[in-house]
Amino acid sequence: MSLENLILLTGRTINQGVALEGGKTTKENVRAAAICTFDTEDFKKLDIIPGTPVKVSTDFGEVIVYSTISEEGPHPGIIFIPMGPWANQVVNPDSQSCGTPTYKGMKAKVQVIKDGKVLDALELIKTLIEV
Amino acid sequence: MAVKKIKTVYDVVCPFCGTLCDDLEVDVADNKIIEVRNGCQIGTKKFFASNPSEHRYEKPLIKVKGSFKEASWDEAIDKAADILVKAKRPLLYGFSSTECDAQSKGVELAEILGGILDNTASVCHGPTILAEQDVGVPTSTLGEYKNRADLVIFWGCNPVHAHPRHLSRYSEFVRGYFRKDGRNDRFIVVIDPRNTHTAQIADLFIQVNPSEDYELLNAIRAILRGVELDEKEISGVSMESIKELADKAKSCNFGVIFFGMGLTQSLAHHRNIDAAICLTRELNDHTKFLITPMRGHYNVTGANQVFTWNTGYPYSIDFSRGYPRYNPGEFSSVELLLKDQIDASLMISSDPASNFPAASVKNMFKHPLIVIEPHQTPTSENADIILPPAYAGIECEGTAYRMDSVPLRLRKVKDAPKGILTDKEILEKLIEKVKEKKGE
Repeated sequence: MSLENLILLTGRTINQGVALEGGKTTKENVRAAAICTFDTEDFKKLDIIPGTPVKVSTDFGEVIVYSTISEEGPHPGIIFIPMGPWANQVVNPDSQSCGTPTYKGMKAKVQVIKDGKVLDALELIKTLIEV
Repeated sequence: MAVKKIKTVYDVVCPFCGTLCDDLEVDVADNKIIEVRNGCQIGTKKFFASNPSEHRYEKPLIKVKGSFKEASWDEAIDKAADILVKAKRPLLYGFSSTECDAQSKGVELAEILGGILDNTASVCHGPTILAEQDVGVPTSTLGEYKNRADLVIFWGCNPVHAHPRHLSRYSEFVRGYFRKDGRNDRFIVVIDPRNTHTAQIADLFIQVNPSEDYELLNAIRAILRGVELDEKEISGVSMESIKELADKAKSCNFGVIFFGMGLTQSLAHHRNIDAAICLTRELNDHTKFLITPMRGHYNVTGANQVFTWNTGYPYSIDFSRGYPRYNPGEFSSVELLLKDQIDASLMISSDPASNFPAASVKNMFKHPLIVIEPHQTPTSENADIILPPAYAGIECEGTAYRMDSVPLRLRKVKDAPKGILTDKEILEKLIEKVKEKKGE
């Protein structure tokens, strides 16, 4: 299953804040920030159980994260990934010359994936290092 | 077993977010944090994270053939200075999670190196500063809001998650001098694309379409001027709701807008803030109205202050010509990294690998990387040199600026691990070594 024409927002969550202070390389950080939250109705269309990995793609990249239902809904058409390395794979780096990247409001597509796994922070960042 | 002697430190300032709560009580035994009272979840976690753990660095480390090797301070500082002196355009970034004296030393080092000096405002409230420089800002300290505000608007921010004690200390539940009944004496409005936890406890929630705040801000300004807009809705908000909000804003005694990343990091960036400040200014024709950004890092405001009084500019400063130049669209860390225009970097108490867009992180790792960082992060684990500091505000004193630019003195509650230097001392050693190598 997949969903198209979604808008991706990113931002702070308290779990992500606690996890980053507790250790950015921990599993706790993965559970807190490697997630994508969906509006309840949107999530039904995906026909999966919460926790199923999904691939989120934008014009700027793609990332595999765990799916979950938003506690801060309803927000139909909007998905949310907490700030952190996972969100930053798919945000818009362009700042329109003001210096600050556009971390919010990207057009996004979500696909339920059969294989592929959610990487932890170090594994994910390793993929950005050219050998 | 002997009973451990517990030392309690009162009125501790929390070094996590820009709310800079100053009423924490911290119990320390055997130089370990054993209890934190009054703190929020995140702040409390930060205190506990300063205890020895597998995530904490306690010795300088140098990467040799792909793995870290323990080094002496002299050796690590020497290698780091080598990298910085050899670089043509080194980037010095971070600074928002350390105290002001260390920030000041950072400015000095950047100037000597002819490098780029930037702090985390460049990825969060940079647009706020740009707008404030353009149109000024009617603002106040948080105590005034606590005592006087009867209308509080949270626009594009979610303090329940990001500034957990802001609501209970300054803006929503707290009893103020003229707001004796606390929450009941205030009307709370939240404007956000999501029905956030902050919105769920508000009196009025206005769900705006993502990236369309600019239109909504200007619609409110138009209505305040008596213009009839020939639209049924703007940015997904019905005209009735916009009028209701405008009426509320005009009829309050003292209003305040707190805003966050929802305005600065969406498409219109500083133009959003520009419109929000102008709206605030125009509301002062009707009543008293002020605006304050919800600053993230505990001392990002301090970084802006310290950089400004040293160089004239708050962030994204280039020293390559020997004098400071300021142009965030050109010299912000992310812009420079995207264009691959730096050749070494020194990251001070910051984790750009986690917080910058992927395309810029790729370029950061192409060049030598030095970090001053107390615990493991995706940036430090891929660095060439790690210089571990004491936690400012936990293991050493210093000054930090609250989000409303009020400076507070951070307290020391316990000692740093043996042999660990403070951010300031590390930067002083680097300055000394760099000067020596440059023959100054």
